[in-house]
Amino acid sequence: IGYGRGVFIEITHRCRTRFKVALATSENFQLSAVTSVCARLSQTKKSLFSDQSSAWFISSPSCVMFLWRTVKWAVSLLVFITFSVRSQDIRNTVGNIPMEWYKDYPHIGYDLDGKKIFKPIRNKDELDEFLDKMENPDYWRTVQDKMTGADIRLSDEQVDLVHRLQQGKFGDVNFNEYEPAIDFFSNEVMIHPVTNRPQDKRSFIPSLIEKEKVGKLVHAIKMGWIKPRRPKETTPQYYDLWAKEDPNSILGRHKMHVPAPKMKLPGHQESYNPPPEYLLSEEERLAWEQQDPEDRKLSFLPQKFACLRAVPAYSRFIHERFERCLDLYLCPRQRKMRVNVNPEDLIPKLPKPKDLQPFPTTQSLVYRGHSSLVRSISVSPSGQWLVSGSDDCTVRFWEVSTARCLKTVEVGGAVKGVAWNPNPSICLVAVSYDDTVVLLNPGLGDRLVCTATDQLISSYEEPEEVMDQSVQWAVAEGEGHEQGHRLILKHPKAVRQVTWHGKGDYLACVMPDNGSSLQVVIHQVSKRRTQNPFRKNKGLVQCVSFHPIRPYFFVATQRYVRVYNLIKQELTKKLMANCKWISSMAIHPGGDNVICGSYDCRLAWFDLDLSTKPYKVLRHHKKALRSVAYHRHYPLFASGSDDGSVIVCHGMVYNDLLQNPLIVPVKVLKGHTITHDLGVLDVTFHPTQPWVFSSGADGTVRLFT
Amino acid sequence: MSQVQARFFTENKKYLIDDVPFSIPAASEVADLSGVINKLLEAKNDGHKHVEFDFLVRGQFLRTSLASHMEKENISTEEVVEIEYVEKFTAPQPEECIMHDDWISSVEADSEWILTGSYDKTARIWSMEGKAVMTVAGHTDVVKDVAWMKRGENLQTGSLVVNDWNSERNKVEARHCCRGHAGSVDTVAVDPTRTKFCSGSWDKMLKIWSAVPTVEEDEIEEPNRPRKKQKTEQMGLTRTPLMTFSGHNEAVSSVLWVDAEELCSASWDHTIRLWDAETGEQKSTLTGSKVFNSISYSPLCRRLASGSTDRHVRLWDPRSKDGSLVLLSLTSHNGWVTAVRWSPSHEHQLVSGSLDNVVKLWDTRSCKAPLYDLAAHEDKVLCVDWTENGKAIFVIILTCLDLKLNYHYPYV
Repeated sequence: IGYGRGVFIEITHRCRTRFKVALATSENFQLSAVTSVCARLSQTKKSLFSDQSSAWFISSPSCVMFLWRTVKWAVSLLVFITFSVRSQDIRNTVGNIPMEWYKDYPHIGYDLDGKKIFKPIRNKDELDEFLDKMENPDYWRTVQDKMTGADIRLSDEQVDLVHRLQQGKFGDVNFNEYEPAIDFFSNEVMIHPVTNRPQDKRSFIPSLIEKEKVGKLVHAIKMGWIKPRRPKETTPQYYDLWAKEDPNSILGRHKMHVPAPKMKLPGHQESYNPPPEYLLSEEERLAWEQQDPEDRKLSFLPQKFACLRAVPAYSRFIHERFERCLDLYLCPRQRKMRVNVNPEDLIPKLPKPKDLQPFPTTQSLVYRGHSSLVRSISVSPSGQWLVSGSDDCTVRFWEVSTARCLKTVEVGGAVKGVAWNPNPSICLVAVSYDDTVVLLNPGLGDRLVCTATDQLISSYEEPEEVMDQSVQWAVAEGEGHEQGHRLILKHPKAVRQVTWHGKGDYLACVMPDNGSSLQVVIHQVSKRRTQNPFRKNKGLVQCVSFHPIRPYFFVATQRYVRVYNLIKQELTKKLMANCKWISSMAIHPGGDNVICGSYDCRLAWFDLDLSTKPYKVLRHHKKALRSVAYHRHYPLFASGSDDGSVIVCHGMVYNDLLQNPLIVPVKVLKGHTITHDLGVLDVTFHPTQPWVFSSGADGTVRLFT
Repeated sequence: MSQVQARFFTENKKYLIDDVPFSIPAASEVADLSGVINKLLEAKNDGHKHVEFDFLVRGQFLRTSLASHMEKENISTEEVVEIEYVEKFTAPQPEECIMHDDWISSVEADSEWILTGSYDKTARIWSMEGKAVMTVAGHTDVVKDVAWMKRGENLQTGSLVVNDWNSERNKVEARHCCRGHAGSVDTVAVDPTRTKFCSGSWDKMLKIWSAVPTVEEDEIEEPNRPRKKQKTEQMGLTRTPLMTFSGHNEAVSSVLWVDAEELCSASWDHTIRLWDAETGEQKSTLTGSKVFNSISYSPLCRRLASGSTDRHVRLWDPRSKDGSLVLLSLTSHNGWVTAVRWSPSHEHQLVSGSLDNVVKLWDTRSCKAPLYDLAAHEDKVLCVDWTENGKAIFVIILTCLDLKLNYHYPYV
């Protein structure tokens, strides 16, 4: 819009004053007048535009109307300004610059022809000014043009315009800002359309773009890229609003409400007419009175009245109420938080012993005959006979199935250990007493085996070079031979334990001694050789055992079990038992698990593949363990203790390396009487049946099946 | 329910009564019913002596009152109850006590003689009156089982020595020494035709030997073993087995002949196996859960009874093909059942001996409790046997560890 000069209206919603008229002109222009008008304008319209949302501003039809009117008004304003400027025709061409730049010059600018516009001569002082103001009737309508410095007397129309602007009215007198609104697009349906434009072709032809889009969607659905929307779940979703509520919150305290303690109901003593036994006698009454009020059992004296009417007012009422209030006030209102743990959850989930059958459950046979404590027992590899060695200096052979003592062999001392040769083709029993180990041929079983064993021993030929051995080998003769003694091995020290290697040729003997390195010797029966496998003393040796399959040798000292490789002659493993004093040890027939019994009532199960520390420690016995044993076939192990009981446990070892052994105690077998604080001294399993033998300090051997 | 309609019947012709239903009080017990029958019999024939009866309701012995028994057995009280009555089996009394020097491991009774094997390495023959007739020495080890070969003529003993004993001359002669077992022989059994016998041993084998006496030796001893030769002469001629059955995984504890072609053996490997004696094939296996100590077969009821290392006597049907089938479990003992023996003449009776020092007489028709407990022993019972006299007089012979041999004559 414009008369050679650019005027535009910018409407912005970002400004605080939402309406701004910017005028740009290339000519000399009475800008000050315009800016003052603009300022006025913006003030007046402020109320109109402020706090209006821009959305309304743009979309509302009434707003469009308003804009249209405003533009109209602004154009008329410009027309007026342009007209007033043209009529004077003194145009300063300096442009829109601060006029004080010409303060020190006589001229004020340049006109269209390039001549200087000189400042009008101002010689009026304050007084002249005042007189002028007083006398000149047009003084109030005289303004100074800053551009030319000339005094301009405003005409009536101009004054009127200024007045109108000051009053916030439109400058144009003829402009009616309240023209009646014409509702072009009303809700009423017109007979004639607003425009006579014919309908677009696209309004009645199906859209190709839409068709393409729908086609794509259909294809996508067919191919399964888009899933048709799932049916809405009809069941309403509920949730517990209070599920995660803090119990300490205010609402939570309501739940934790502790009711006030109930008052004791009155009994017969409080009755106005109590039964006579509730009434205190004279002495009781005196005693009551002498008692301290704190100590009295009753806080009042039971009284008897003839009738209810005779009962006086209750004098202690206030006192009693006060005490009740005290009770309520001092009642602890805090609930004790207790951890609710079901004790059954703490017990590990183990299978029931019933499902782990078979295992020995009852005592079936008692082998009686020994007169002193039976230190050691051993079962023949066939399971037909049992040998027991006792402190009464005898070794007895029993028939397992009938408890019949078939043979009694006397030896020269209290028998510490017996061991039946595990090789079924050799019939030999090693017996240790004092410092001697005797190999006995019991002569039981197949005669061919017995004679073959005798021949094997007698067929030994002395080697040419005689070795210096710490143990002396001798062949039994005379009466000893009649009794079954075959070889006698004299050791330098007392032998405590004897154990055979699985092949039946090697025999290990334990001679516990703290100071010497000669604690364990291994004999080879066929060559009658003895060797000491250890050079150093590593502690008091308790028991030794051969590995059932591999060439390992287990040595249990007081605290550790050392596993030696006999071929490489080196220490393979050192098991830490975590107990004070190991008493006994047994190797699982698979060879990868070891159990150790100790004098401090513990049984430690080692898994050699797992760790050198016990896989499990069982503390079922009340007193020191004396002996432990594994069954050769069944997943059973047993421990005998000084408390006179044998505990049989199910100990299943899995071939799977990932699965740990399953250990379940299944049965406590009692039967032995405790003699001299000693109960069960040795336990051993039957080689084929799930039966366990135990020998005790009471001189009996018992069979549990 | 105060009265029950009952009809009494019996198979014994001697005690027949009229086949009329009676109304008897429901609370009546065995003694009351017995009185009723006796009164009926007295009314029928004058010379009737009082006899105690036992009553069977649907094949089960009446032990409580009639009402509670019928309630337990789910018998309707609306109908007429069929009650069978039999003469009461009187309590066996100890008749004779034979003292033995050592433990008796086995016993086998004949109609006239009793043969015992003992732990003192001898077998003995006793007369029925308890007189020691003969001592058979010659065994080098414990005698574990004995058996008569021919009634009164031959006997054989556990370590497999067959002896010939002539009762008239009272002289014993070792006939054969049967060699072949690698373990101790625990059991022997002679087949019904008396021509063969079978032995079971700790070496897991069963062997069949010929029982026909021969003069020649089966196996000629090698000349370089003179010591053994000498021994052989003492023991009689050496004999080798006809047949060997292997299949058991553990020691064979008991063996018997079901009939001439079939063998049955019980073992410590928890099985009872049936064998064809001709071909040596294994016919079927009955699997138990415990070690078997003893088995017995009754041709009358065709049942096997087994005693094992728990408290139960179990009855089996050896003909069932589908593995283990326990028909009945008789539970009353407190220790291992070491011996069971069916009665040779009564199809329902068997006797069992146990390590709890008690011998029990059972009737399979009352399986809850034994008929009688024979508690005359002070130590373990290792073997029991019945004997049959010519006049069907029963004698139960018990052996035990207290060096006693007891006779029980139930009735004469």
